[in-house]
Amino acid sequence: MEFTFIFSQFISGLTYGMMLFLVASGLSLIFGVMNILNFAHATLWLIGAYLCFTFWSLMQSYEVALWVSIPLAALATGAVGWISEVVLIKHIYKRELHEQLLITYAMALIFGDLIKITWGPTDRLIVRPPIIQKPIHLFGAPIDSYFIFVILIGFAVAIGLWCFLKFTKYGHIVKAAVFSREMVSALGIPIPKIYTWVFTMGIFIAGLAGGAQSAIGSVTLGMDMAIIIQAFCVVVIGGFGSLMGTLVGSLIVGEIFSFAILLWPDGAMVLIFAITAVILIVRPWGLFGTPLRA
Amino acid sequence: MEIKNPFFKKYWLPSILFAVALILPLVITQFWIHVFTEILILGLFAIAFNLIFGYMGQLSFGQAAYYGIGAYTTGLLMVKANWPFLATIPISMITAGLGALILGCFCVRLRGIYFAILTMAFGQLVYFIIFQWYSFTGGDNGLQGINPPPWLFGATSYYYFTLIIVTIASIIIYAITESPFGYTMRAIRDNTERTEFIGINVYRYMLINFVISGIFCGLAGALWGPFNRSVAPDLCSWQHSGHPVFMAVMGGPHHFLGPMIGSVIFTFLNAFVTGFTEYWPLVSGVIIIIVVMFMPGGVFGVIKQKGYFSKKQAVNNTTNGVGH
Repeated sequence: MEFTFIFSQFISGLTYGMMLFLVASGLSLIFGVMNILNFAHATLWLIGAYLCFTFWSLMQSYEVALWVSIPLAALATGAVGWISEVVLIKHIYKRELHEQLLITYAMALIFGDLIKITWGPTDRLIVRPPIIQKPIHLFGAPIDSYFIFVILIGFAVAIGLWCFLKFTKYGHIVKAAVFSREMVSALGIPIPKIYTWVFTMGIFIAGLAGGAQSAIGSVTLGMDMAIIIQAFCVVVIGGFGSLMGTLVGSLIVGEIFSFAILLWPDGAMVLIFAITAVILIVRPWGLFGTPLRA
Repeated sequence: MEIKNPFFKKYWLPSILFAVALILPLVITQFWIHVFTEILILGLFAIAFNLIFGYMGQLSFGQAAYYGIGAYTTGLLMVKANWPFLATIPISMITAGLGALILGCFCVRLRGIYFAILTMAFGQLVYFIIFQWYSFTGGDNGLQGINPPPWLFGATSYYYFTLIIVTIASIIIYAITESPFGYTMRAIRDNTERTEFIGINVYRYMLINFVISGIFCGLAGALWGPFNRSVAPDLCSWQHSGHPVFMAVMGGPHHFLGPMIGSVIFTFLNAFVTGFTEYWPLVSGVIIIIVVMFMPGGVFGVIKQKGYFSKKQAVNNTTNGVGH
């Protein structure tokens, strides 16, 4: 195999990995802070993609349509996330594991059908603005120029989240809540409010990812079910609640996917699940996670 | 009037249900006979799942894998090797049990959310193997033409056949849950550490229970193929693994028949709702939310005296408060 070919494959793996990171980081954050495994996360991501398409089609005569639609989609999806937290998720933090899983599972079903009702079964395709229609050449390899944009968004979110957790007051509270929420609430910090905003933030990032996804290829029903399982694999590999782990896990899964599809196309998903299973058996808390308090 | 017969006094509910199930085909149309056959098969699936959930206290989100292994074993043997249906049933139970043994070895090391995720990951592993292995399993086309033998071809005869198999299997599972083994499982569910301290090999007991559950999931799967005349990889997907979970939750996981009652309600609603809307997932999602939010403990939980459950709830709340 030539270098240029391998390089372009690497970039597409990186793009896919970054998309997974954007989905999985919110998932991991929500799990780390609230111990809620959100089955509906990718469905909200898909809502973001469809919303981005709708905003874009309303403004498509303008050249900046796509670049305005993506943040708008993120905000709108974040609002949906905020509503679901306040109406439903808020009431299940103290419930048992199976009840929490069933509630988010039910949310995935409901949102999935709402998407079908709103946008119908036809595939939606965004016509890219001229600036990203042509591939650019890096080291002689033709690279989809939009991929670069997605990778940059991924890194920007990663760095943004890292700075948020490291330098801001609220970031410190969130980190402390991952460690011990009893202690945090004992210090007089309003935990319910923190939970609402962590959830909203996770869904906001998912909406941003969905918006970015909508210009990669056509938006279709059922995309959410494919990516949610891979996002679970990512957080398992990286470790629940660990930002670094989620980033590394995403890149591992993205690159494996990208290269396995060349060498052993049928086995890509099987390989990813095998790795996930091995990690769960050997290190249930993942590569970068810490063992959960019992 | 006081009931004299001690057997009926203890088992009045299953007896009545069985009697109703026997007479039912005489009074309903063929469509509903199909629905009730489905109820029985999925009910067995949910009862087998509940061995892990209700009796062992772990949530498996991947039981569809063993159901699917059972369904595919029967399907492949009948379509590719022309085996008679009856002969494939024990083989399906064996393959599903073997699958559960191999994957269960790893699963039962974990607890709580990790158990749920690993079972789901293995379930998806099985799903993707079946999905991708075109030459053997037919990939996403599934297997068609799994025809039951002529004497089972009619809806009514297949219904009675399913009823007999499901009844026998349920009695066996019930006997297991009432045996010393079953009470050991309850002990593990209620306090794993203490059970270990009294010298019980928790790992081995949990693994055996996992395998038993897998065997009966495989049996349910074996019944599905000839009933539906085909099998598809969707049978193993994680969405399908969710079905026994909410059937058990809906009926009540703390009662042996709870999952079966859940299957009756859920499958019945499914058949009814899909009659006039294609948005069954939306409706089922709303139902799940209502059940979980307002009926913890399921149908049997609501029927039982409130005091018992509110006490249990209080205990759970305190453990949650400390544990999380």
